[in-house]
Parts: sequence; structure tokens; C-alpha cells
Amino acid sequence: MATSTKMLALAILAVLPVLMKASTCIGPQVTSNVYTTSEASMSISTVFVVEVAVKCNNGEKDLLLFADVNGHMVPATQSGTGKFQVSWSDEHKKLPAGTYGVRFFDEEGYNAVRKEKRSGTDGSTVTPIFTVNVKHSGTWTGPYVQTEFVATCVALLVWYMAYRSKSFLMS
Amino acid sequence: MKSLFLLVVVFVAVRSDNDDHAARLLASKSILNQFIVEGKELTVEYSIYNVGSSQAYNVELSDSSFPEEDFQRVSGSLNVKWDRLAVGANVSHAVILKPLRPGYANFTAAQVKYYPTEESQAVQVGYTTAPGEAGIVGLKDYERRFSPHIVDWATFAIMTLPSIGFPFLLWYRSKSKYDVKHKKN
Repeated sequence: MATSTKMLALAILAVLPVLMKASTCIGPQVTSNVYTTSEASMSISTVFVVEVAVKCNNGEKDLLLFADVNGHMVPATQSGTGKFQVSWSDEHKKLPAGTYGVRFFDEEGYNAVRKEKRSGTDGSTVTPIFTVNVKHSGTWTGPYVQTEFVATCVALLVWYMAYRSKSFLMS
Repeated sequence: MKSLFLLVVVFVAVRSDNDDHAARLLASKSILNQFIVEGKELTVEYSIYNVGSSQAYNVELSDSSFPEEDFQRVSGSLNVKWDRLAVGANVSHAVILKPLRPGYANFTAAQVKYYPTEESQAVQVGYTTAPGEAGIVGLKDYERRFSPHIVDWATFAIMTLPSIGFPFLLWYRSKSKYDVKHKKN
């Protein structure tokens, strides 16, 4: 009789993790779409928009995601089932060209990162569920030299060459 | 006695009702463009701040002021939600659109819906700030003012070639004749 109760207790313990609602994603399949500001005249600050569609192997539908954006933890916006968006903006100078890695965490990961940050470290040891690399090719703020300037220089050059050869001939 | 009674009345009236522990969201919508040009990206940024004393639940932002036939969606979604917004926290959301037609556009407010407390049944509806009316410049006008005009300058250079090249050619011909004579001597 004692063993049967023990068996029952063990059985319950074994089943418990499955019964508990853990909103974590196992084996995520991620498709991402990234946008970064390309022209400075179209936006006064550089904006990055990362859209992800996540499919979990364990069929998790109520996933809550948090993203680590430049050291800042933000909740990911939900734009549909399994679709999330993270966007951030800053001055053009502060977001130069390069690759930015955006780490996505579930609730557990988010709490772990917050705990690490409170204890002083930067939370980079926590493994994210997945990472999206954002390639920013820089925000175009205009050509190096205006074409009008180039045209003026060429015209002056032609005039100077003519003037020089003329004075050379006249001498 | 009368003054004491007055004091009590004033005290009761002035005591504010801030103990209801509800969330209060302030939302702003702004257009980050310097110029809004037809066919070029329009950047819209939304910011939501929780200035209340409780977490906001099921925060939903929906913007229906960009009809599909006038604005093409490039990136971001116009109907989004957040599960929770902590006290004192703020979130920002960006949407990139492309205007399809030049002219005047009135950018109106987007709607924010949320539950001020965990137990509340009634959804609270609020609105973001509205950027107001702005003009969408046609692509031709924008390019006339801002594009580098490389093709135009190249055409101009080719057009000036006859008036410079023709006298130069005459001079060069006579010079080469003179040089030949000089060599002969």
C-alpha cells in the first residue's frame, strides 16, 4: 500500500512539468524581415524595424517575447499569432553602418537577464531563444560633393587651361 | 467652531482620489520625415507611456488612418498589442509606409485600448496625439529640387563641346601646320 502511494506520487511528479503551463518555445523556426532607414531626409532619426514570425515545435501559441536592443530590454510587440515586431530608433550618428544582433528571450530568459543586470553584469551570458542579425548599410545623408560643385570646378579648370595656353602663346 | 468645520470640509474636498491603483497610458504618434515624398518611405513612430499606478494589461494599438489604396505598407504592423505595460515603462513602435499619391494628407490619431487593472472588465479607450495635416510632395518635384541631376550635367557638358571644341580644333589645325613648317626649316 505504501509503495502504491509512492508510485502515485512519483507518477504525479513526472507528469507535473507537462501539466504546468510553461510558455517556452522548443525548436523555434524563425523567419525575419528587417528594415533600416536608408535616407536621412526621410526620417530625422534612424529607425530599425525587425519583424519575426516564430513557429514552435511544441506548438506554443501564447509566447511572450522580449528583445535585447542595444543593451535595453523591451517587450516584443505582438502583431498576430506567432508574429512579433521590435522597433527602435536613435540619432543617425549613434546608429552607424554595421551588423546589430538582436537577442530574443522568453519570460524565463528575460527574468534571468534582469537578475544578472541587477547583480551588475550585462546579462550577455543568458542564451536567447534566437538571435536576429540586423545589417544596417548606413543612413545616406547626401552625396560627398554636390554635382553643381563638380560642374563648376570642371568649368574653371577648362577656363584656366585655355587662359594658360593663351598667355603662353601671346608671350 | 465655524473655522474648524470649514477646514474639515476643505480637507475632505481637496483629498484626491489617487488610491484607485489604475494604469493610465499616454500615447504619442509622430511622423519622423523631414519631407513626405510620394513613393519614398514615410516613418511613423508611436510611443506609449504608463503614467498610472498599476500595470496596464492587453494594450492594443490600432491605426486605421492609413488606407491601403493611399499608403503601401513597407515594414511594421498597424494593429499591434502588448501583454503588459509596467508602471513607469514606455514602449515605442514604428511603422514604415509608402505614400502612393501626392497631395494633402491629414494624419489623425490612432486608438489605444487597454485594461487599467487586472480585474477590470471594461476596456479603456484612448487616442494618441495626431500629427495633423501635411503635404505629400510629388516625386518629380522632389527630384527636381534634390536629386544630383548627373544626367542633366552630362548633357550640358556634351552641349558645350561644340562651342569650345570648334575654335580649339581650328587653332590646333593651324598650330600643327606651323609646327610642320618649323620642322622643315
